[in-house]
Amino acid sequence: MTLFLTALFAGLAVGSVYGLIALSYTVVFNSTAIFNIAQGDLMMAGVLVSYFCLDRWHLPQLVTLLMIVGVVVTLSLVEERVAVRPFVARPVVGLGWFIATLAFSLVIETVASIIYGQNPVVPIPGALGNGTIQVAGVHVATKFILAFAVMIVVMVALEVFYKRTWLGTAMRGVAEDREVAALRGIDALRISRLAFIIAGLVTALAAFVVAPIVSADVTVGLTYGLKGFIALAAGGFGSLRGCVLGGLLLGVAEQMFDLYVSSNYEILAGLILVLIVLAVRPSGLFGTRAVREV
Amino acid sequence: MNDIASRLGLDSRAWVRWAVPAILIIALYIVPQLAGSTAFRMGEYEEVLSFLVIAVALNIAMGYGGQYILGITAVFAVGAYGAILAAKYHPHDVGLVAMCIIGGLVGAVGGLIIGLPALRVGGFYLALVSLFAALAIPTVAQQWAFVGADTGIPLYAVSGFAPKLSGEELYVIVASLVLLATAFSWALVHSRVGHRFVALHTSEQLATSIGIRAYRTKLLAILISSAMAGVAGGLYVYTQQFFAPGSSSVQFAVLLLAGMTIGGMGTITGPLIGSVIILGINQFFTSFQQYNGIVFGVLLLLFAVFLPNGLMARVAVLSDRLGLKPPRTPGAPAGRPAAVTPDHVPGSLDGVPEPTAATALAAKPAARLPTWTPIIGADESSPLVVTGAKRAFGGVTAVDDIDLTVTRGQIHGLIGSNGSGKTTLLNLISRFYSLDGGQITIGSTRLDNRPPDAVARAGIARTFQSPKLMLRESALENVIPAVELRVRCSGAESILRLPRGIRVNRQARTEALEILEALGLHHVMDQKAAALPHGTRRLVEMARAIALRPSFVLLDEPAAGLSPVELELVAEVCQNLARSGVGVLLIEHNVPMVLSIADTVTCLHQGRRLFQGTPAELRTDSTVASVFLGIDEPLEASS
Repeated sequence: MTLFLTALFAGLAVGSVYGLIALSYTVVFNSTAIFNIAQGDLMMAGVLVSYFCLDRWHLPQLVTLLMIVGVVVTLSLVEERVAVRPFVARPVVGLGWFIATLAFSLVIETVASIIYGQNPVVPIPGALGNGTIQVAGVHVATKFILAFAVMIVVMVALEVFYKRTWLGTAMRGVAEDREVAALRGIDALRISRLAFIIAGLVTALAAFVVAPIVSADVTVGLTYGLKGFIALAAGGFGSLRGCVLGGLLLGVAEQMFDLYVSSNYEILAGLILVLIVLAVRPSGLFGTRAVREV
Repeated sequence: MNDIASRLGLDSRAWVRWAVPAILIIALYIVPQLAGSTAFRMGEYEEVLSFLVIAVALNIAMGYGGQYILGITAVFAVGAYGAILAAKYHPHDVGLVAMCIIGGLVGAVGGLIIGLPALRVGGFYLALVSLFAALAIPTVAQQWAFVGADTGIPLYAVSGFAPKLSGEELYVIVASLVLLATAFSWALVHSRVGHRFVALHTSEQLATSIGIRAYRTKLLAILISSAMAGVAGGLYVYTQQFFAPGSSSVQFAVLLLAGMTIGGMGTITGPLIGSVIILGINQFFTSFQQYNGIVFGVLLLLFAVFLPNGLMARVAVLSDRLGLKPPRTPGAPAGRPAAVTPDHVPGSLDGVPEPTAATALAAKPAARLPTWTPIIGADESSPLVVTGAKRAFGGVTAVDDIDLTVTRGQIHGLIGSNGSGKTTLLNLISRFYSLDGGQITIGSTRLDNRPPDAVARAGIARTFQSPKLMLRESALENVIPAVELRVRCSGAESILRLPRGIRVNRQARTEALEILEALGLHHVMDQKAAALPHGTRRLVEMARAIALRPSFVLLDEPAAGLSPVELELVAEVCQNLARSGVGVLLIEHNVPMVLSIADTVTCLHQGRRLFQGTPAELRTDSTVASVFLGIDEPLEASS
């Protein structure tokens, strides 16, 4: 039972990070109809910033957070300018935008591995220290609790933003029908930039909370990027709650796979999950709407 | 010089078309002579050659079929593991052929496992699911002792495995296999299967409107591509005698994509050239490898943004512009249209010059249109009946309780202002939208629970309000797939050019040509659809609908933007279709045209049926007049 609970909490924590990545995908897709595969590597960049700030330079956590936000949002805006805007400005034909974001991702990853070099994977201290808290009879690391809490806060904030504010509605409207949105005085390019700023913020927070969990490692970008997609596909495309639930489901499924099947083949959990969900319910487990024409 | 050549029946510039492939083929075979033939070097060449087979495979699915199975390296890996395991446990029985076949079979299964679920959503889902598989397969293999875990399987260390081929002999065979794969991809692309891939790639709606089964066709693209990537796996392990988790990675998948994009997806030679460039850089500039990701990433980005169709597409455009392609229709040079004289176009405005007619509808349509008796669904003579059709979008009821009957051999006009629900109704009939209520039937067959391609195969063809054509294909190639739907022939016969395949390929071409000719479009048959003016595109689309030889044709504003001459032709075609026994549903804003040719007219207003009756009755109907003209009297006093 203790093992199960420990695995469950670890799963929820990692799943929260998947959920955050999935949320950042959704923020971008909702306003640009583009799936930004580089989101995972943007997060990886944030993790490296976290490593340099905390492990090398011994900066305080708050400064580190600001640095991560600064770097990730800047990279996000650069990406928007060079890899996305050309496709937002003209009618989207094919998946050229997908290739462009993948290319950007490749550049980030290569630059990061040059900067980080051959350094071994180094653990990064968490914002709330390395302590644990007793929950339901087991010790849960504070870094896990922080990840979960941040994800919930981000989801609620995004939901309020989309539902309650004019700008949020405008952001959804642009992806729905760019021309009609333009007629209502909504500038698609400004919205696209804004979407990348918000997605960058979400990704920066993901990087901040995940750094102590995954340690400094250049390959986490690709892995987390793809797992964020699985969270999205499993949960239900386009729905914020779907992202979060899909993320938690994937995180817990992985830990359970570790515990009851084999920890060597953890990555299969995600693959099996996404294949089954798509076969049984292509719109995702919690997706109520029909799948968009993607 | 040119004169002599052309008098001799030779096109002096035709050789240029063949020069590039010929040089490439020769280069392929003499690489070892040029760049060294040590055993190590040969191994490297053969490695690149097996990667080229993956590039050809990916090009079929992605470049032509539009299915982004980016993680095809996962399929390559499972094919390679299948082949190398077979060789490890049966070293005496397994040779190159067996390894390629095993690789192909295992690869095909792998492709199906990814494709079956992922294609239910399609688009970038396939890209990401397959990329995840490309990440997962090596990760799993690293831990799995059966496949050699992290160190992999060294086949050269297996006692008893003695490859029969080596050295230059092996190189020549591998190079020939690459050529064979390329030739196969060419044959596939220029077969009925390839036509379906391109149609689907262009637009799923266009493809289903001519009866192409979308899901099955996408799956076929994935399957062919995966089998070929699996064969590449077999080839790889035979030549390298080794496979490890590091032999295939996501980074490798991205390299392949870069090669494809730079060379030009959707061209036969582009992916090969691009891959040679990228893999060559990666393989031979190892000191620089750390920075390769930046170079490739930037190149990929630049191409995706500025030259999305790649180098070879650019070359094709340039050689077209230089006139390097010989014209396939002698005697009908483009740009010198035959004159259209007014007596052939009754009803045109006398004395008014018609610039569009001169450029677009240059050749004279057949004086008497041939009959287009229905072939698909012809055994059912019942009308197409819509009862109580209902459809709402959010709070707006676009189509509200509409009854409509299209009788075979009659023209049913559907008029109404913008937003009155005409196109929605048409989309409901062709099943692009599903009904909220009501039903659609032909005789005892219900159509409202069938997929859109089944509606087309039940004998209902349609056109689109804004023409959907394959822009990179010629007018003729746009019509051919529609003919191919009803001319039975297996895909394999068509690809492999078996006797029936050849006959049917030719028949499809001839029939498509006949229809284009009847509509006066034979002079543009070789022109790319992208180069055709709007009116001509509409006519080509109409030709495609006719080419299905349907029992019913649904035309969505066929006359919009047409010149008077073309308008006249459209009206004639409608009448001729009706005379041939086809039921025509004609959505049109050109009310005089509708009233002059329709047998029955339905008028929609805000999603509801305002009027139904003969044109004569419409003219005397007071509700129509009051709604549309705001007057209390009918258009004409009843006589």
